[in-house]
Amino acid sequence: MSAKPRETANVGAGLWKATGMWAWLLFRISGLVLVFYLGAHIIVISMGQFGHLDKLMDLFDTPVLVLLDLVLVVAVLYHALNGVRIILMDFGIGVRRHKFMFWTAMAIVVICFAVFAWVAFTFIITGEGVTS
Amino acid sequence: MRADAISAHRGGMWSWLFQRITAVLLIVMLAIHLIFTHILNIGNLDYVSIGERLAHAGFIAVDVILLAAGIFHALNGLRMVLMDYWFTSRKRALALTIVLWVVGIAAMVYGTWALWPWMS
Repeated sequence: MSAKPRETANVGAGLWKATGMWAWLLFRISGLVLVFYLGAHIIVISMGQFGHLDKLMDLFDTPVLVLLDLVLVVAVLYHALNGVRIILMDFGIGVRRHKFMFWTAMAIVVICFAVFAWVAFTFIITGEGVTS
Repeated sequence: MRADAISAHRGGMWSWLFQRITAVLLIVMLAIHLIFTHILNIGNLDYVSIGERLAHAGFIAVDVILLAAGIFHALNGLRMVLMDYWFTSRKRALALTIVLWVVGIAAMVYGTWALWPWMS
């Protein structure tokens, strides 16, 4: 099969049963979320120029926004670790062990998330960071 | 595998290569950024404390690299997504690329201006 029909054939519904397509879809969704977050983040930080930054930072310390921050952390960690997996694939590392590579990356996501969640919940409950 | 290789390179070799380079930069810089903001200084971020952190040239370097690498990686990623759907022809893809470069340079200038009071 030439390259073009093969590419078309790979878009069939059957491929959605594979882990890789979900990895790809979540990579896109998390990427798009992060693009819009980056824009929002630049605008928020620029509010320092207008003297509005401290008000915004107080808002971000409220429980709902700390929890939303954890959603952002999931997007960042998933996108980062799946990205590392893709770069390793580019170097030919793990190309015969796709599922092992994906679930190892996900295990690292869970471990890193646990650290951020612990800090966030400690902050929500006590109002203090874990190091302060 | 071949279909993956073709679609991964469709944005161009430099686009692919710089997406990888900025990815590695972002992982290192974002780890520093998140540890200092979300873990060590959670609840203690304000104009003055951010300024104290940015008094160290190293943190300014981290933030400027984050800004530049982040904007490139974000817009190039967005470009790859959009080229899969609406900007499929060579002409539309070129128009998209030009628009995104203008947006990216504007974001870089605005972002640097936002950091300026702490940098100067």
